[in-house]
Amino acid sequence: MPGKAMDTDLAAPNKALKPIQLLRSLLGHGLIIFVGMFFAVPFLWMLLTAFKSDQDVFRSPPRWLPYDNVRVEVNGKKLPLYTVKTELGTLRQLAAIKIVEGVGTFVDPANPAEILTYKLQRGKERIAEPIMEVSFRWENFPDAMSRGSRPGVGASFWVYFRNSLIIAIFSIIGTLVSNTPVAYAFARLKFPGRDLLFVIILATMMLPFQVTMIPIYLFFNDFLGWGDSFLPLIIPTFFANAWDVFLLRQFFKTIPEEMCDAARVDGANEWQIFTRIVLPLSTPVLATITVFTFLWAWNDFTGPLLFLHSPRNFTMALGLQDFQGQKTIVWNQLMAAATVFTLPIVITFFFAQKTFIQGIKLTGSKE
Amino acid sequence: MDNPGVPERKILGFQLPPKVVWTKRTKADLRTGLLFLSPWLIGFFAFTLYPMLVSLYYSFTIYHSKRAPEWVGLENYLKLFSDQKFFISLNNTIYMVVIAVPLGLFASFLCALLLNLKVRGQAFYRVVYFLPSIVPTVAGTILFLWLLNPQVGLVNTLLARLGIDGPNWMADPNWAKPALILLGMWGMGGTIIIYLSGLQDVPTSLIEAAELDGANWFQRLWYITIPMVSPITLFNLITGMIGMFQYFAQAYVVGGGDNLGRPLNSTLFYSVYLYQNAFLFLKMGYASAMAWILFVIILCFTLLLLKVSDRFTYYAG
Repeated sequence: MPGKAMDTDLAAPNKALKPIQLLRSLLGHGLIIFVGMFFAVPFLWMLLTAFKSDQDVFRSPPRWLPYDNVRVEVNGKKLPLYTVKTELGTLRQLAAIKIVEGVGTFVDPANPAEILTYKLQRGKERIAEPIMEVSFRWENFPDAMSRGSRPGVGASFWVYFRNSLIIAIFSIIGTLVSNTPVAYAFARLKFPGRDLLFVIILATMMLPFQVTMIPIYLFFNDFLGWGDSFLPLIIPTFFANAWDVFLLRQFFKTIPEEMCDAARVDGANEWQIFTRIVLPLSTPVLATITVFTFLWAWNDFTGPLLFLHSPRNFTMALGLQDFQGQKTIVWNQLMAAATVFTLPIVITFFFAQKTFIQGIKLTGSKE
Repeated sequence: MDNPGVPERKILGFQLPPKVVWTKRTKADLRTGLLFLSPWLIGFFAFTLYPMLVSLYYSFTIYHSKRAPEWVGLENYLKLFSDQKFFISLNNTIYMVVIAVPLGLFASFLCALLLNLKVRGQAFYRVVYFLPSIVPTVAGTILFLWLLNPQVGLVNTLLARLGIDGPNWMADPNWAKPALILLGMWGMGGTIIIYLSGLQDVPTSLIEAAELDGANWFQRLWYITIPMVSPITLFNLITGMIGMFQYFAQAYVVGGGDNLGRPLNSTLFYSVYLYQNAFLFLKMGYASAMAWILFVIILCFTLLLLKVSDRFTYYAG
């Protein structure tokens, strides 16, 4: 029966494929997760470290989750709980009042009147071990933010955060205001010399910042006397840049010419067409520019490093670097500050995921 | 533009636009055009052209910031050629350009292939791969200093568990640059996304046709996918290279500001040494000469890449 044979022939590979497909899918997931660890683990480590206590950070070998001393309330004070081995060899849970030079003063939480003093070392044996539990120290965040990279100058990470925000907001305004008319001219206006100028603006993309850095620094810092202010970081954004002009021009070119022509017939001039027709139709690309300018300004390190000298004017990037450069590094607070530094971008990403991805595809990653 | 009345104008084989006939209309158009362009035109003269010319001038002078520049001709350039640190910094930078950039592209492409597999939960996986790339540079660098801490860092702890004695990473001259390459690869999410969108643009009809002809997975990858994404590779290669020649913030953070280039000048990259000369040693003229050499190197590399890539890049349509 040839007909039946055909049927089974067709059916067999379908059935046989299933376990193979399953295997493939498992293998795919496995590989993606394995490689994904490289991206996820450092990120998680930053978060986990930010929640650790001071001693727990330097624990060797480290544990994944943050641990902290179990604390009990004795006479209105929160005291860390220890397991103490008494002279008789029994184990007691005691709260430590103070530990000075290898001698611990403990109190029995069940009987607050009983104060005991022990040497922590008996022969080679440690007799008091702190009782630990998984606990996330949220206090690290306010602690980190309210301290500055240099104590005593009155600048905290809150100030750095505010400075970064001010610079980013004005950069966004400058970028939007200055790049849109330039891009409109390159996209829609016809005038002699336009194409040559467009080649020139594209060519400036190739110019490394190092070439213009020194004269620009001397101009702002020495000539205008704007050193140690936000102006040298904000003012240049009001004068357009090749990347954003290019991105906007590509978008403006997709807006139907007929709409502009219709307005022209009605007697609108170019400025009116630009502000009343083209800009309102361009919200997606304006959102992309906003997000990317924020990202760039928030992330910028070289600019603030050149122009901002006193800690009260530092940005987050500069403050974090300064904090890290100190003699004793408080890793948990450093990671807490780094998390706060990263948070606005991550939030922006989750709210504007499409805008983000679109922008990356259009401009390439500006790194 | 096929106007028989206007003769074609060419210079060195480049087609020039037709000669402008100045009428009231074109003059008005030009005025409107320049008005719209004025933010960029002013910016171009103030923040690009003028600084370029000034820095070119400085590069022929000795200029210690406060005192007026003093013309010395080619002295700065000649001095650079006997400056050992200059060559160390150039060498470190070329190392990153030649190793880190292609390695990053290759890894990004592989990651994009993974994220293009048809498995469930891809949207989530893509976010995971992408997220590190938006962590600010300084935060990411500090995080890696912590992860790669020789004594209590997570990486060496995990290596120890596998019985491997981890290196000193950022504290070891031989391992500092590989550590920075790891940091760079951690943040390559942007490039992965670009490759991923390139992979999604490869026509399925092509892949299916090849499948019917009996091409296996590797052949389809080699003969279809890789040529189809080659323009992306070229674009990323050029932007990656230009970016890497200016590698600065990460190295500055590793150096802790007052110890730039540590350990043993292994992270003294070109831009770091340039910054050091300009703002710490206040040798503005010397640094300007370095900047112009950097510009010329970048131009040469870009042109070379464009020339060589002609043969390897496929443009559809």
